[in-house]
Amino acid sequence: MTPSRTAFAAILGKDLRAELRTLQSIPAMALFAVSSFVIFRFGLNRTSLSGSLAAGVLWATLLFAAVLGINRLFVAEREEGGFDAIRLAPIDRSVLFTAKASALVIYLMLLELIAVPIFALFFIRSAASLPPLIIVLVLADIGLASAGTLISSMAVNSRARDLLVPLVLLPLVIPLMIAATAATEPLMLLGGVSYHRFGTWLMVLGLYDLIFALLGYAVFDFLLED
Amino acid sequence: MYGKGLRPLSIATVVMFAITLSLVFFYAPIEADQGFLQKIFYLHVPLAIVSLCGFVVGGIFAILHLRRDDPRWDAYSYVAIHISVIFAVGGLITGSIWAKGSWGHWWVWNEPTLVSFLIVFLLYATYYPFRYAIEDRQRQARYASVFAITAGAFVPLNFLAVRESASLVHPRVFATAEGGLPASMLFTFLCAIATMALLWTTLVKFELSAKSAQGQLKRLRRALDAPSGPPSSRIAPEVH
Amino acid sequence: MLALLLAAAPAIPNDVGGKYVAGAYIVFVLLLLIYVAIMGMKLARIERDLTEIAAIAEERKEGALPAAGQAAPGRGSEEPSISDSLAPQGSRGGGA
Repeated sequence: MTPSRTAFAAILGKDLRAELRTLQSIPAMALFAVSSFVIFRFGLNRTSLSGSLAAGVLWATLLFAAVLGINRLFVAEREEGGFDAIRLAPIDRSVLFTAKASALVIYLMLLELIAVPIFALFFIRSAASLPPLIIVLVLADIGLASAGTLISSMAVNSRARDLLVPLVLLPLVIPLMIAATAATEPLMLLGGVSYHRFGTWLMVLGLYDLIFALLGYAVFDFLLED
Repeated sequence: MYGKGLRPLSIATVVMFAITLSLVFFYAPIEADQGFLQKIFYLHVPLAIVSLCGFVVGGIFAILHLRRDDPRWDAYSYVAIHISVIFAVGGLITGSIWAKGSWGHWWVWNEPTLVSFLIVFLLYATYYPFRYAIEDRQRQARYASVFAITAGAFVPLNFLAVRESASLVHPRVFATAEGGLPASMLFTFLCAIATMALLWTTLVKFELSAKSAQGQLKRLRRALDAPSGPPSSRIAPEVH
Repeated sequence: MLALLLAAAPAIPNDVGGKYVAGAYIVFVLLLLIYVAIMGMKLARIERDLTEIAAIAEERKEGALPAAGQAAPGRGSEEPSISDSLAPQGSRGGGA
């Protein structure tokens, strides 16, 4: 294994083990999501959702829950010298970006594993049409993780740490949300599933993922300079 | 010396302005659909286009800043984004006025270019609190450059996404342009874009020149061991 | 001549369209003027700081040559430029 791959595995493993042990982010994100669903039920005064309303509630909630996890992503690195360790190691520093983004993707997928079935339970009449949602979730997670890791790594070194991520990240992921909701909406229509422009939206998601993953990888080195 | 080309540049801007305004009101024909209201097109669209190009230019300057590690490029990037944000405000307000005149509402969601533009503006509006939150000057400059590059890459993506989601019910304003703008309108439009681009460049140079003067003042103070003046802005990069 | 120009130019219709067009162009002009005003304030500040520094520099210069006196070898009569006359004459001119 090349040094970069070893480092990647090491950082990713450390993050996952730490999360498993302390269970900080994922339960909080999941609980937040479920509470949000309840709030939406009462806020919208609806007991079932379909179509664009369902897609909107699901994705807005997932996004805000994700921000909770993104806020915490680099806190340990900053407090315990993880940034310094990476600077000293003789490897490509962008490996920190890929490792952290991958960890975040895994957190998001775990979040969705809990939140989406509960969403379906609360609001969706027939969940038979939902399996294609998985690919939308995966693609959106990658994009969200790339942008989130990038912003989080900068926010952690600033004063208004918790404020900066929601502030800057939300406009940045609007195209992602547009694509995700537009792809999800036809899957949740009451009348029947349609794959109207599903492919187009998957391509937009893929494009977003590609651009932000490459961008994050390319500029991360400059972020770590001291 | 940032003020060097400023005189010919501003003269050119004024001349182009005079030419364009004359063309808009005395030469360009009245459009069949929207009537006289369509004349806002020559103001709103160039403002928006130049603003977006300005954001991309700000991103390019940011790339140069990171690659050359020269703080001057951070200042150029900041000023480019700053002026483009001002143009964006102008674009949004004129777009809103146009919407009110065309469809009776001050804001419409199914004009995709206007919506995309709002999102881009929202993102760049966070540039200022973002810079403000990072205390160390050098780090602030570096992070701001990363932001500018990310946001620059975001612009085309955003337009793509919003455009795809646009309802095809409302005839888009540029449908007429793609369908075939009459030559006189096209010519006027191109002059308007040239004018706005010149104005943008003039204002950027103007702003850089003012910053440079402030920088030279600081330098003078230090040379004379004079007491330093009141602290300048915490986010605007200094130009030396 | 003016009559010809007015005849060729479409008058601004006082209907709905005209008002909005005028409004939009007025907004643009106002934005530009606000920018000019802000830059004007910056310029005023620069001017203030420069006078302060010029005064300090002159004091230093006079302080550094107390013995050499105020001897000003003939410089030939140069036309004073406007900025020279605008600048306060400091300790030399006395209030005027």
